[in-house]
Amino acid sequence: MSNTVTLAHGAGGKQTSELIEKVFKAHFSNPEFTPDDAAVLPAPGGRLAMSTDGFIVSPWEFNGGNIGKLSICGTVNDLACMGAKPLYMTCAFVIEEGFPMDKLEQIAAAMEKTAAEVGVKIVAGDTKVAGKGQCDGVFITTTGIGQIVDGADTSGNYAKPGDAIIVSGDVGRHGCTILIARDDYGIESDVDSDCAPLWGTVETMLGVTKDIHVIRDATRGGVGTVLYEIAGQSNVGIRLNAADIPVDDRAKGVCGMLGLEPLYLACEGRLVIFAPQEHAEALVAELRKGKYTANAAIIGTVTEENAGRVIMETEIGTQTVLPQPKGELLPRIC
Amino acid sequence: MCVGLASRVVNVKNGTAIIDAGGAQRPVSAGVLTDLEPGDYVMVHAGVAIAKITQSDEDEANDLMESLL
Amino acid sequence: MNETIKAARDIITSYDGRPLRIMEVCGTHTHEFFRLGVRKLLPEKVDLISGPGCPVCVTAVDFIDEACWLALEKNCIVCTFGDLIKVPGTTMSLAGARSQGAEIRPVYSPLDAVEIAKQTPNRQVVFLAVGFETTTPSACLAAKQARELGLKNFSLLTANKTMPNAYQALVGSADAFIYPGHVNAITGNAVCKKLCEEQGVSGVVAGFTASELITALAVAIKLLDKGEPFFRNCYPRVVKDEGNPEAIALMNEVMEPCDNEWRGLGLIPGSGMKLKAEYAEFDARIKFAMPEIKGKPNPACRCGDVLQGKCKPSDCKVFGKGCTPLHPIGACMVSDEGACSAYYQYAGIV
Repeated sequence: MSNTVTLAHGAGGKQTSELIEKVFKAHFSNPEFTPDDAAVLPAPGGRLAMSTDGFIVSPWEFNGGNIGKLSICGTVNDLACMGAKPLYMTCAFVIEEGFPMDKLEQIAAAMEKTAAEVGVKIVAGDTKVAGKGQCDGVFITTTGIGQIVDGADTSGNYAKPGDAIIVSGDVGRHGCTILIARDDYGIESDVDSDCAPLWGTVETMLGVTKDIHVIRDATRGGVGTVLYEIAGQSNVGIRLNAADIPVDDRAKGVCGMLGLEPLYLACEGRLVIFAPQEHAEALVAELRKGKYTANAAIIGTVTEENAGRVIMETEIGTQTVLPQPKGELLPRIC
Repeated sequence: MCVGLASRVVNVKNGTAIIDAGGAQRPVSAGVLTDLEPGDYVMVHAGVAIAKITQSDEDEANDLMESLL
Repeated sequence: MNETIKAARDIITSYDGRPLRIMEVCGTHTHEFFRLGVRKLLPEKVDLISGPGCPVCVTAVDFIDEACWLALEKNCIVCTFGDLIKVPGTTMSLAGARSQGAEIRPVYSPLDAVEIAKQTPNRQVVFLAVGFETTTPSACLAAKQARELGLKNFSLLTANKTMPNAYQALVGSADAFIYPGHVNAITGNAVCKKLCEEQGVSGVVAGFTASELITALAVAIKLLDKGEPFFRNCYPRVVKDEGNPEAIALMNEVMEPCDNEWRGLGLIPGSGMKLKAEYAEFDARIKFAMPEIKGKPNPACRCGDVLQGKCKPSDCKVFGKGCTPLHPIGACMVSDEGACSAYYQYAGIV
């Protein structure tokens, strides 16, 4: 097989079969992985959750992961947020002509490993090759289907005044990692992405209590964006205690240099959880035992007043509004 | 008007200082602080070390409040 | 909250003397005062007004038009601090120019723009040099470095500003100034002391952390209450009386004073800095024989009045309607430091 992906690999002929055989089948092999037009699956019982997500990230590889790992985590976490155990996934690749074959293998291997950790099966896929310059390296779209755990019922509409707000770990590390990896600002740091599959985390929480109102994974836009989304969807106010928001020192350093707010930086392995106050301590105690959630913390509460807004308790004992995140993150010098 | 970053000087060479803030490192110009040494704390603005920092902000605030009372 | 902050808070909240107007000159102070919710602490008698110390807010429309001209007509790579990218020009912002194919690069430092020029010898690279005395040394270092490297493809579009004459324009608009700590870190305190001694203008130099800001405000209120004009350096860990002599020497070597247009305040004689004749080859206006570009600010926008403390952002007709942080009309809505942006984002709680 050639060392790079060529247009012929996407043409549907012999070379396409070879690519699928040597790269994808080698890594995604399971009894349900289909050579046919569609995977045929046994019907799971109960309620299902289904989600799809497209992944483009530049660079495709970063400290703590790559686009392959990201593409599994993203969809797994979306399903997990609805209390669903991920069962099956499909993936569609758009690969830029000339992309190194061994790098593609690396991506597929990361997908295999992440999927195996969660116990989700990749059952179908698609590969297209785009001409040089028509896409940036590799784009991946994954779709997943999961079975909602009996008794779990979460939605962004369900936050209630009095709920505790929990974040499952320190915020903004993925965003910092990508900024560093792009090397636009000459900063070096060993900060690594928080990218992680969180079905195990949700399963653990549901073991503590099924009475969880909202679980949402913070992705681009960060935890700040999630808080505004939930405040809007549930028509409630949110009060945060600035001092309680966990931020890794390395992320603080990067954000300090560029004048950025960690609450708006992307995460890829962080959940924001809204649950009745009486369960909050137990949930956090259990989360802190988990490998991806050691820094879990209660960061605030839901209020009836200030509906739709996020209010911060500051270090000088006043309250102020957390500004709404806005578009493009630009480093601030002035 | 001027976001500043308090950071520690790790290394100085040929007019360039490597500064560290929480493990994030970056070369900055030592062009207007030519006597910088590793271990110094500096205020950095727009990629230039503009001033040495001589105490912590909390000590400074304490001194200030004491002088008022 | 530690004891020092508590003591400072008490001084501020319990003030009940004559009405006071305190101006934070520096935009980063405006931003931090809002972020910390300091206005919520203020008693009725104390008014905190935002001054013109946000480089983005006081940048004239013409400057953005000039930058777009360089990017689109001259095909230059335009390097800039991120803050300027969304500032509206007469017809478009730099973000608008970028969507028309211009290459606009946010950078952390002007020295990074020199590096870009070094690595792209076949393209002209222009750095947008805005900012006050704190930032000007970085632009001077960039010009000097470009000359040492013999670069023929690097230049500066200057709009650098200096504070002393701006203070003169602001005398009388407040009972005390909170002086910009990082400007004084460069310039030292002589100008502020002179203002106090010769014109009776009071002020404190403040740092930027929560405890620095709140103690500086407490000091200003306490000393204003005593009635005598005062100057107090509340940021001695960074600001020395003599400032940074090396930085001052560098600025005098590379640049010289010029008249400068401030959005809102108009033309202030001697309030700008431009490259000296021996650095003319690094002056983008000369290098590209730039025609005179006269911008037209949106007539509905009252940023000028806001910057002079003549009106509150909410008094402007377009505030929060046509003009929001996502779709700014005026510069004060663009920068996080801008008074309009701060008022908008923290509305209802300030």
